[in-house]
Amino acid sequence: MLKAHIIKNRRDLEVNVTLELEPGTAVGLFGASGAGKSTVLACIAGIEQPDDGFVQLNGLQLFPPSLPLHRRALGYMTQEPGLFPHLSVSENIYFGIAKALAATARQQQWIATLRDRLQLDPLWHAPAALISGGQARRVALARMLARKPPLVLLDEPFAGLDRQLVRELIDDLIFWSRQIGFSMIAVDHQAEVLKRLCPQQAIVLEQGKIVQRGTWTELYNAPATPLLGSLLAPL
Amino acid sequence: MSTSRHWMARGFSALFALALLYPFTALLARIGPWQWGAEVRGPALASVRVSLLLTGFAMVIIVAVGTPVAAYIARCSTRERLWWQAILLVPILLPPLALGILLTLAFGPYGSLGAILEHLDLRLTNSAAAFIVTQIYVGMGYYVLGAVAAFDAVPTILQKQAALLGLPPAKVFLRVTLPLSRLGLAVALSIAWVRAIGEFGAVVVTAYYPSGMPVQLWVNLQSFGLPAVMPLLVVFLAVALPLPWLVHVLAQRNRHA
Repeated sequence: MLKAHIIKNRRDLEVNVTLELEPGTAVGLFGASGAGKSTVLACIAGIEQPDDGFVQLNGLQLFPPSLPLHRRALGYMTQEPGLFPHLSVSENIYFGIAKALAATARQQQWIATLRDRLQLDPLWHAPAALISGGQARRVALARMLARKPPLVLLDEPFAGLDRQLVRELIDDLIFWSRQIGFSMIAVDHQAEVLKRLCPQQAIVLEQGKIVQRGTWTELYNAPATPLLGSLLAPL
Repeated sequence: MSTSRHWMARGFSALFALALLYPFTALLARIGPWQWGAEVRGPALASVRVSLLLTGFAMVIIVAVGTPVAAYIARCSTRERLWWQAILLVPILLPPLALGILLTLAFGPYGSLGAILEHLDLRLTNSAAAFIVTQIYVGMGYYVLGAVAAFDAVPTILQKQAALLGLPPAKVFLRVTLPLSRLGLAVALSIAWVRAIGEFGAVVVTAYYPSGMPVQLWVNLQSFGLPAVMPLLVVFLAVALPLPWLVHVLAQRNRHA
């Protein structure tokens, strides 16, 4: 279970957000650009330091004091796939797995499952620097899932991809979240993407504060602010 | 780049290379037959050995000490980094002769540290150790400043991503930062090497003996004139160039990977 209270003073606004997430559930953080959504994710991941508050994951204190990144055991994907360009696709996927663990039959089988489901076979030995943006997101997804993280943080990981690929990746994520049982917090400025990925619940941020929590139906039927109404309205 | 622009750029670069190499046409100057008799050859080859071995040793120390220091500076706050950079600039900013004088005073038998070292039977003037220490002072700043720039060029998000994938800081450095900065580190090392192996001003004060190639060039000029300088100059180029060039070749391999 994730419990977090993030207070972060940015140059342009103060982010002050409280979150609780049950194991295996997913929540979409929605709001206009600059609302503080990515800051919240970065603070939970440890990429940024909150100025105050706390972050706990399954009883483990992530902040304060700030737990080193390598002990956090969570998955984090952004619109920049962040593949290691000097390694091959397979080396990227095995990157986060200890050598001893990688040698076990169960782990090998798990990687083989990821490889099949995410259609990575043709890319397996390709240099990571030479694959397309869409392929890179698949590899980044496989790399993140290889470690079976209990919590996955997604910061607009589908930006710039075509609709078909976005649909496939969302389906993959939902499939794997059921397989592994991870919790998920996703950030996007497209409501339809978040609604598909995290259909149960949404949190809306404006100016660094939560202005509404609820189901997507509640958000569409009774948006808490005019800005939210405008963001949810069809073009 | 269009073909015509490509050829223009190549032509310009060729002119640049010609201008850079122009002084070396002086190797063909009419100065009489080159002198390479035993009285020149023996000391010349000894100086090659001194330069290659001792500069190589100095480079090992520079890399071993300078790389972690550069990695630390690359992660410092801007203010702290500026202080470090100022400190690194001091020894390379000084005229080499002045650096040589300071090194001799500081490490020589009349300096406080030099006196202690002398007691321990370690002479830091006119000795192999003095040669190595001088090369380190001459090359360290170039290597560390270059290495900091190389580490800076590695995207921070990749290092953080590696950490989130469970790698402790030392492994992130070895498996991500170091491989991704290898080209920059190679350039930094080759500049330090070139600077150190060609050093004359500081070395002539601290380590006239054992003579490295630059000092031997000076000795040859004073003792025998230009005909004894030219062959050693060719030898100098032949032995000093391959190592930094090889480092570039190795670093360029899989550059786009």
